[in-house]
Amino acid sequence: MAIHERGLVEQERIIKKDRIVIDGVDASGDWNLIILPRVINDYDLNFAKDIINHPQGKTINQCYQCAYCTASCPVHNYWDEKYNPRHFIYLARLGMLDELQKRADVIWRCVSCHKCTHRCPKGVLVEEVLKVIVNQMSKRGLIEEYPSKKFDKFFTESVIEYGRIEDGELLFGWMEKQGYSVMKDPILKKPIPFAGGLPDWLKSLAIKPLKGMNIDFLILNAKHMLIHPRTQNWNRFKQVLERVIREEGIMTH
Amino acid sequence: MGVIGKNVAYYPGCSLEGAARAYDVSLRLVAKDLGLELDYLKDYNCCGAMESKNVTFWGTILMNARNMSLARKQGYEVIVAPCNGCSFSLQRAWYFLTTDNSVLTKTNALLREGGVDPLDVIPETYHALEWLYEEAGPEKIKEKTKKPLKGLKVANYYGCLYTRPHFYARTYSHAGGQDLDKDRPMRRATADDDEHPFFQNKLLEAAGATSVDFEPMHTQCCGGPHSLSDESVSEKFVTECPLCHASLEMYRHRLMLKGVPDVDVPAVYFTQLLGLALGRSASEVKLKDNLSDPLPVLKRYGLA
Repeated sequence: MAIHERGLVEQERIIKKDRIVIDGVDASGDWNLIILPRVINDYDLNFAKDIINHPQGKTINQCYQCAYCTASCPVHNYWDEKYNPRHFIYLARLGMLDELQKRADVIWRCVSCHKCTHRCPKGVLVEEVLKVIVNQMSKRGLIEEYPSKKFDKFFTESVIEYGRIEDGELLFGWMEKQGYSVMKDPILKKPIPFAGGLPDWLKSLAIKPLKGMNIDFLILNAKHMLIHPRTQNWNRFKQVLERVIREEGIMTH
Repeated sequence: MGVIGKNVAYYPGCSLEGAARAYDVSLRLVAKDLGLELDYLKDYNCCGAMESKNVTFWGTILMNARNMSLARKQGYEVIVAPCNGCSFSLQRAWYFLTTDNSVLTKTNALLREGGVDPLDVIPETYHALEWLYEEAGPEKIKEKTKKPLKGLKVANYYGCLYTRPHFYARTYSHAGGQDLDKDRPMRRATADDDEHPFFQNKLLEAAGATSVDFEPMHTQCCGGPHSLSDESVSEKFVTECPLCHASLEMYRHRLMLKGVPDVDVPAVYFTQLLGLALGRSASEVKLKDNLSDPLPVLKRYGLA
């Protein structure tokens, strides 16, 4: 199997011939590998400018493409090698938005373990830069609302509303958003953890505490599910927070 | 010893008020037993954790700045946060507020608008583990230990954000006694080693426990079951982050349902074990709050 330089020969163009003989010569293998002439005239340098002007993305130009970030990345190494932080930075700096868009299905997969940022020899805040890239992409409509963003929004909305989060609401509310049917009590409309159409592992996990856990702990958590913990004096701050987030415009895209 | 201060502002975070109550209760007990004081940050708000920062930069900085402002109001320049996510968020905000003047100016204006005092000094945040190590240290724990954790084998799990990235956590390489990163711009003398953290190992060893060799999994991402399934020598995971704790416990449960062998390793918070060693009872450190039941293992060694 030939190794092809990524980007020069697109995988979908390769024609595989298991057995082909031409004029008595065995010519089986990969065909159509000619490197097409490339003139990149569809680029957008404003993309990189927008990143540099953002406090999170200031360090992007320090990158010298050593790929230490990619070598450290657990998503690249354990999940999909299409996820390549070095390559994303490269494409963003050149403004090759069509190439970035081709990777929209993997580019949001960062788990924020910060190995890339930690190990970068040039002091690029890689994780922050990647987030700005994804955010700028969604601002320009290059990427649709991706799965992790749905949860991020759900979480942040809860913070904006109450000032604090509550684990039960997050877990069961999220399950409901994912399409599982969550059974609720008829009066207060609060979820019942171990009933309904939740996945089996979650049901048995929710039932487990009843057997041996501290009663006051269960009561505390049930109370929090009924009465959401709140930050006092939150309203005035909340309005400013809401406005800032709206102006930033990433939540709404 | 003692650069951080024995009396600090305490930012518990949402998780420790609910699902991770055991961590909160046991940390306070341990601090009290070691002669340290945690002053609860009144009326704090969520730090935004690992989620909000992905969808709003300014919102997250603002939320953390509000907490910092509350600490200043209570007269503190140091915040201690026990959760990896919270300490990460506060340290990240500290980084942007101190290195980028435009961020500080805009944030202060927004704080004023929101009815919160603007920041005159930007408080630093320490992880509770770093604080305990600096202010109490292994010697003091050894001295105060009443019931050594003899024979108990522990795998110390630090998670991602306790040591990374060095810009925020301000760690540097010094585990071998040799200072190797003199040029780290943000390094802090009290911080742990970056790739080979050892504070938790040292504290628990001082309390009598034995640490198993757990590198490099000790700082691996908890987001997958990989970190669990290949570890069978240890009898206990010791964590210092409520999210990692939940993740480890949840995946342990799912793996056991799938019939994966050798994952029956309960997870506990390091403060729970320290509390036991300092003479507190199992119910005082809330061992029954943990989803994965640590009591059988502890009973085997006569610790609970």
